[in-house]
Amino acid sequence: MADQANFSQDALQYNRQLYSAAMRMTRNPADAEDLVQETYLKAYRAYHTFTEGTNLKAWLYRILTNTYINKYRKDARRPNEVDLGTVEDLYLYRRIGSEASAEASRTTEERVLDGLVESDVKEAVEELPETFRMPVLLADLEGFSYKEIAEILDIPIGTVMSRLHRGRKAMQKRLWEFAKERGLLPEGAEKP
Amino acid sequence: MSDECDDQTATGCDEALENLYLYLDSELDTVTSDRIRSHLDDCKGCVHSFEFEKRLKTVVKERLDEDVPDVFVSRLRDALAREAAGDTK
Repeated sequence: MADQANFSQDALQYNRQLYSAAMRMTRNPADAEDLVQETYLKAYRAYHTFTEGTNLKAWLYRILTNTYINKYRKDARRPNEVDLGTVEDLYLYRRIGSEASAEASRTTEERVLDGLVESDVKEAVEELPETFRMPVLLADLEGFSYKEIAEILDIPIGTVMSRLHRGRKAMQKRLWEFAKERGLLPEGAEKP
Repeated sequence: MSDECDDQTATGCDEALENLYLYLDSELDTVTSDRIRSHLDDCKGCVHSFEFEKRLKTVVKERLDEDVPDVFVSRLRDALAREAAGDTK
């Protein structure tokens, strides 16, 4: 059982991560701040139920996720599926590589990875339907294991894997579009 | 890409690519993970794709990270202090 007196000391160190995730969930600073603050207050009140020595960060994320779902999800009626059509695995890599010699594609890879700006990546993630966005955020932003993600989102591990897979693919597809818009690709690299 | 692949055992490439994300996410058992690592030692094509995906993962993480506004952190501390003092507004 965890001591409430230690809560701030134990839990506040995660504020940056929780805030980054909250920004991608709510898409604006004011709501992200509200969400993080509510998460911390709920966590504080429930801290006596937290088993010391277990995963505090995952526990906080679980509260964050549930709070977000209860509070914000009803406002946002967004499609819960991604249209992946013929998007294959390693979409971005293969698109880049299909265009040129190995050496030329290395140059393009560098240009794409360096040239995609913050807002591109953020938008690519924010545009994902929530079902896919959450696993992607938890895995790629936070580095949680599949098992931890399954616990945080309360879904089976197989579901985590398939959503992560589809979410990453959809994100890569969007990043490819940004790369094209930004002129990061060589001439003639536009064809699918 | 596959035309750069030096490893004659196509199954090695198939297994590696199939498990690429599990490998990068450190979700494989040691035996499979070691087998893929040793395939990567021999296969330029697979190394190339693995390195790209690994860098992409890093790029995504770096660009999603947010700076928390200092004033917000202070507000958060205040809110918790108020809560602790039993003053829940």
